[in-house]
Amino acid sequence: MPTLLKNPVLLAAAGAGKIVADGAASAYRTAIRIPVVGDRIDQGMMALTRRGEDVISPVRALIAAVAVQIVDDVLAQLDLTTLVRERVDIDAVVRDIDIDAIIARIDLIGLADQVIDGVDLPKIIRESTTSVTAEVMTDVRTQGERADDMVSGLVDRVLGRTPDRG
Amino acid sequence: MTRNAGIVSRGCAGVIDLLVVSVALAAIYVGWVLVRLGFSPRAFSFPAPSVVFSTIGFFLTATVYLAGCWAVSGRTVGAVIMGIRVVDRGEGRLKSVVAVLRALACVVFPIGLAWAAIDRQRRSAQDILLGTRVVYDRALES
Repeated sequence: MPTLLKNPVLLAAAGAGKIVADGAASAYRTAIRIPVVGDRIDQGMMALTRRGEDVISPVRALIAAVAVQIVDDVLAQLDLTTLVRERVDIDAVVRDIDIDAIIARIDLIGLADQVIDGVDLPKIIRESTTSVTAEVMTDVRTQGERADDMVSGLVDRVLGRTPDRG
Repeated sequence: MTRNAGIVSRGCAGVIDLLVVSVALAAIYVGWVLVRLGFSPRAFSFPAPSVVFSTIGFFLTATVYLAGCWAVSGRTVGAVIMGIRVVDRGEGRLKSVVAVLRALACVVFPIGLAWAAIDRQRRSAQDILLGTRVVYDRALES
């Protein structure tokens, strides 16, 4: 219990208020039993109740508005993210989530289609094929040229020539 | 001055061209079969061309293919793959007559290519005869 509500003065005041209210209620119950006057008192009480209701409605609205404002101010002062991190067991919350049910609600095929639509697959395949072909061609040509030089060198050695190529 | 291509590149290009000509011949044969089937479906039988006919057909196809490629771009399919090109003395495209003569010489006397392995300037017998050269051509790679 908050310390404010343990204050002895406050508790004494609340006790006194309770006694007064109880006393007033007993006095009222006794008074309405008195013949002739009792009816008058009862009618007067009812009229007072109606007026009281009329007065209380705007007051309730006011109290509600004040309460909302207070809650807003309190929330603005609080760092909710930190509060949740410190006070809430997020792991436990996540553990209880039925991920299968969530996945079942997602249109995975539609999602995949959307992703594939966003990716230009033909372009990627085209580019990779072109680069692979170009690499293979370069390789074949380079190997051919190297083999040409090897054969020429060999023939030059066999024929006893000095290498001199055009 | 661009370097002359050696026997290995030219030999590989020659083998690839031989394959191309064979595929072309097969395509011509299939086309011929289909035409015969279209015109006389009842009396159809697979044609069996004689050896002489096939040889002449092969020589003709090879000559037309080689001469056409050399006259148009200096490159056959094999030459494109191996990165070589047939050029004249000034490194330009062959004249049509030279291209046809070179094609005939290559088809009739293919062993003349072997001289490229021995010649100092890597020229085949046909190159020496017609004043042509086969050079490395890497223009497409850049």
